[in-house]
Amino acid sequence: MAGFLLRRLVLGLVAMFAAMSLGFYYFASKFYPLRGTSTAHAYWLWLKGIPTGQSFTQGLIYPHIFSMVMAAFGRTMALLALTLVIVVVISIPVGLISAANRGKPIDFTLRIGTYVAWAVPGFVVAIVLQDGFGRIPGGWGVPWFPPVGWAGNCPSGQGVDLHNFQCPAAGHGLTHVGEVIYHLTLPALALALGFIAVNARYLRNSLIDTLDAPYITVARGKGLTERAVLQRHALKNAFVTFVPALVSGLGLIFGAALVVDYIFKLGGVGSLFLTLLPYNSDGIIQVDAYALMFLLLISACVMIVASSLSEALVAWLDPRVRAD
Amino acid sequence: MSGVAEQAGTATTRSEPRRSGRRRAWHRLLQQPVAVCAGVILVVVFAAGALAPRFVPNPHTVYIGKWQNHAPVLSGWHVLGTDQLGRDMLVRMLYGLHYSEQSALLATLLASVVGILLGGIAGYRGGWLDSLIMRFGDMLGVFPALMFLLLAYTYFLPVTVTKATLIIGFFLWIQVARVVRAEIASLREREFVHAAQSLGASDRRIFFRHLLPNAGSTIIVATTSLLGMVIIVEATLEFLNVGVPSAVEPTLGNLIGDAQSGSLAYGLGWWTLVGPAGLLILILVCVNLLGDGLAEALRPARPR
Repeated sequence: MAGFLLRRLVLGLVAMFAAMSLGFYYFASKFYPLRGTSTAHAYWLWLKGIPTGQSFTQGLIYPHIFSMVMAAFGRTMALLALTLVIVVVISIPVGLISAANRGKPIDFTLRIGTYVAWAVPGFVVAIVLQDGFGRIPGGWGVPWFPPVGWAGNCPSGQGVDLHNFQCPAAGHGLTHVGEVIYHLTLPALALALGFIAVNARYLRNSLIDTLDAPYITVARGKGLTERAVLQRHALKNAFVTFVPALVSGLGLIFGAALVVDYIFKLGGVGSLFLTLLPYNSDGIIQVDAYALMFLLLISACVMIVASSLSEALVAWLDPRVRAD
Repeated sequence: MSGVAEQAGTATTRSEPRRSGRRRAWHRLLQQPVAVCAGVILVVVFAAGALAPRFVPNPHTVYIGKWQNHAPVLSGWHVLGTDQLGRDMLVRMLYGLHYSEQSALLATLLASVVGILLGGIAGYRGGWLDSLIMRFGDMLGVFPALMFLLLAYTYFLPVTVTKATLIIGFFLWIQVARVVRAEIASLREREFVHAAQSLGASDRRIFFRHLLPNAGSTIIVATTSLLGMVIIVEATLEFLNVGVPSAVEPTLGNLIGDAQSGSLAYGLGWWTLVGPAGLLILILVCVNLLGDGLAEALRPARPR
């Protein structure tokens, strides 16, 4: 099993390196400031800078790409962490209620709800939440949350009318944490909705599969209440499939977070990625290939870690796989 | 069709009349009212989108000066209201549907043809060709699909709807290829393929006459779920406004993008969002329902 995981990891790293090399070659040959110079030489310089870390500190256009990319990465990770908490806290009760009342109206309602929630694209949920609960001047929603921006960092001049929109200070210590969570609530909810739906459905189905197992009949035969059977016996086994599914969904959540981050102007990986790409630019098109490659490296690492971790969890949680 | 006939022969129970595999699947699909309804809604919506330019005036020409950013008037002309320039939202939505559906259907077709061929070759041939194709596919999966597409878009600026269709089609084939490869690789070892081989059938004949028809149900299910994914990815990319602006080629995605940026910038009303977003959600829910219905109907019958 460890050998299998290691092979997967190495294959993933090789695929990542190949993709990044192709990407560097393409961006260096097509866009300034490297366009016109020898692409092979530029690639060699970039390659030489990888072991020393120079390729990740000094960009072609931006002076300090390490802090720039890491700041964006940290914001996206904070968003993912809050999303994951929301997904776990809501999807487990929903799955439990649905499985405990299978076939009844409440199960039917929850199933329809989760079905629709999974079908709706994340960016549509994000917009509806932003309009519905963000403080947008002249908007139709209830003004409970900031519509855009990271704590203490209002994106000015990006379309938001700032006359009626006070930007609160970021604060220190716990106040800061509170401010961050306050600013992340809407984006995290928008991201979480679809994954709550898919994980709740997953948990419900695996619980119902588990409930047919002989050991559950034994537990019922002992005279345990249905609640105890469900929570103490069935849930534990259903987690064997639920937890890896949740973790393997991290890669998907990361992809969806790109757009949500852009909509709420959080300054995370998605916003930075779109800033680095030559969209909506006039005149000479410049791309900082060093910064872009570093951002791609971090993103690929997130994807690889998510998929490897979910497979390792399967092995760790399920004794039958562990034995192989 | 030998494999299907073989399956039907073993799986048909006494109560069920003997039918061909395809007719039994069709029958099972018709027994699911939800999936049938979803299919009918999809056909109606897609027909409306396809025919819209024939019956509805061009959205670029419909400006009515005093009706700017106006809420829906149910009795009058603007059932879904107007945008900041006074363009009717219903008309814009229909044109957006026209471009979006055209592009989504073509991209799905392209991706599934490429995916079926490459996945089929990988599964049938195996060996280094299999490794090459699947590792290339893995490379496309190293980053989130959205990131890869945004990178690919930079080569084709400005990205028209036609270009977007081609790019998405050529990047999402791996979804179908994985499923088809697994199916073909397992079918390859079945007796009817060995029989065809021993009769001297060529690889091409075995692939197209024996293997592909038997993988048909897998391919249909994979393609339907791919359609849902293509619609989401495409709408997301259009929403990010990296393609052609909505004034030139309105799509459901960039209309939603207009509604969002407009509501932040100058208080554009909720009605500009409701039409395109609602239609997008309706299409996606129906595609998922139809996909689940098809998967249920085409699932190989288990011996009871």
